[in-house]
Amino acid sequence: MRRNLSSYPLMWRLMDMLEAIFKKIWPKGGGFWSPYLMLSPAILLVGLLVLGLGYIGDASLRTLDTSTFLFSEEWSLTNYERALIEPFIRSVIWRSILGATIVTMITLLLAFPYTYVMVRTRSAFLRKFLLITLFLPFFIGQVVRAYGWLIILGKQGIVNDILGLVGIEPLRMLFNYPSVLFGLIQYMFPFAVLMLAPALTAIPEEIEAAAESLGASWVETMLHVIFPMAKSGMIGAGLVVLTLSLTDFAMPAILGGGTQDFVANAIYDQFFRTSDQGFGSSLAVLLIVIGSFLVWVVFVLVGAGTLAMGAKDK
Amino acid sequence: MTFDKQIKRRDLLKASAMLGIAGAAGSTAPSLLMAEPAKPKEIIIRAWGGPWVEALKAGVSDPFTAKTGIRVRHDLTEDNEIQPKVWAAVAQKRTPPIHINWDTTTNATKSALRGVCEDLSDLPNLKGTTDLAKPVGVDGYPIVNTYGYVYVLAYRPSAFPSGPPESYHDLLDPKFKGRLAFYNDGIGFHFPAQVAGGGKLDGIPSNMQPCWDFVSKIKAQEPLLGEDPDFVTWFQNGEIDAACTISTNALGAKRNGVDIAWTIPKEGAKFDTDGLWIPRGHSEGDLYWSKEYINQALSKESQQIWLDGLGLPGVIPGLQPPTGLAGDPSYPTKPADFDRLIRISGKIQVENESEWFSKFKAIMQG
Repeated sequence: MRRNLSSYPLMWRLMDMLEAIFKKIWPKGGGFWSPYLMLSPAILLVGLLVLGLGYIGDASLRTLDTSTFLFSEEWSLTNYERALIEPFIRSVIWRSILGATIVTMITLLLAFPYTYVMVRTRSAFLRKFLLITLFLPFFIGQVVRAYGWLIILGKQGIVNDILGLVGIEPLRMLFNYPSVLFGLIQYMFPFAVLMLAPALTAIPEEIEAAAESLGASWVETMLHVIFPMAKSGMIGAGLVVLTLSLTDFAMPAILGGGTQDFVANAIYDQFFRTSDQGFGSSLAVLLIVIGSFLVWVVFVLVGAGTLAMGAKDK
Repeated sequence: MTFDKQIKRRDLLKASAMLGIAGAAGSTAPSLLMAEPAKPKEIIIRAWGGPWVEALKAGVSDPFTAKTGIRVRHDLTEDNEIQPKVWAAVAQKRTPPIHINWDTTTNATKSALRGVCEDLSDLPNLKGTTDLAKPVGVDGYPIVNTYGYVYVLAYRPSAFPSGPPESYHDLLDPKFKGRLAFYNDGIGFHFPAQVAGGGKLDGIPSNMQPCWDFVSKIKAQEPLLGEDPDFVTWFQNGEIDAACTISTNALGAKRNGVDIAWTIPKEGAKFDTDGLWIPRGHSEGDLYWSKEYINQALSKESQQIWLDGLGLPGVIPGLQPPTGLAGDPSYPTKPADFDRLIRISGKIQVENESEWFSKFKAIMQG
């Protein structure tokens, strides 16, 4: 018996409707060009990004004349030279790279066992609990979360209140490098878990059972079976955390208290505090180059992981 | 005399009446022109939020609306974030997103040097202002300064039992380690630090090494670095004992019940101004009424109400200081009051501030 059309899902009916409209407008269809037409939104998006980068690249080659606050007509590498010579900018670049690397390593170390338990547990309650705990922070913006840490870790915060109960004087736990890294790890953790979860889910439990039946201990199974098989997920998660941490603005600004700038903070200062968009653009280009270089190094050393979308490394 | 060339009695009476009305209006509130162009429905003023915009609204915007019927909308975008938008609009010959920018004079000087500000030298109320209204380092009046402010040394009296700190050197006492605060780019502190470091103000900007030497000594005290709202919070929470900050923040904290006082140390204190300016690119009518708004801001009545809210000295002689601020070092009115205040040309500041900010941050983040 033919089913009533209204019993089909809404999305199917919408797609049918769109297809009918498309056939009326263009009866012959796209033919050879169809796949390219389908790609056009992505090309448009990337094109806009490239256009913006073009403008940034152009601005980075123009120097600011502080007697007129206009930019030079001619291109020069002055802004890049300044960025590489100025000790403050060099220290900011180094702090960003080091911070992103530390955050990536610690986040992966914490995310792996969390994801493993979340994927393997037989308790539906525990799985839901871990999922809710993971997703809850997503509903709270990064800035709000950073301010939350100010309340918790501040001199008048909850942690110092508890320490005060046992006679410990209030400690300054904020406005230093570790507090920025701590905030970043807390922020990046859900990203890492979400990138790792598909990789661990894809490893059949039977493989672990097989390894153990052949005499491997749980630790040996982890080291020689699970870790290698989860490598692609680890790389994917690591790359996402590394690039997001490297370019972060809010955590260094709020938890660093003006003493732990990352490159993004220096870019903001140049654009909005000293009105030198040329120098700010050169820092933006340097940040892109550094980020791309780090990703390239990972690709060369260990491959693209899940970001390769199933393509085999050559 | 032919009939055509004769002056009709009725016309003479009409003209006399018009002159009388215009004269009466001019005596109470001088306007730019006798012929008023069409009024816009609203004008947009960029302003700082909280008590700042409340004071502006009470002192200038509400009286302006009552007088002209033009609604005033306050845009609370940060001053340094609106700047590139205004510059882009002027460069692309678009209508700027705001009619008037309430801006720091230093920031506004950049716009003036770039040539994006309308000339304000024809404002009638400028005649009654003090020299403070004139921006230093630029020609004419692309900006009109509307009040001044001092970067005072604010302190917690209980932390200084023997009296207010007399010098920035007093802050080097080990007991203040971790209990001092400055702006995160050092603004307000560079010039007194130059003196505290043994240098001279004439050395700005060519020889600022004494400033950086003293900043390095302060860095050893592990100060907190922040923005305006942070200072009030830190004083309220008892996290700091002293800070170099704008007097308005200290006054705001005091009005909120915080135990706080302020002084001008022997090295002096930076004195600066804020002002109003109009970006180029508005229609003739919008420009006219925007100028009328700034003219209103320069009237004695508006200045009195606006600056009572801010606790700052205006640019019209004879304003009454807010309660408790008469004779206060943060409220200079007489020439002698300015002796210990440091005022550096806006042009020198904008040409060098990028380097000063970087150097300060390099020391503090090193």
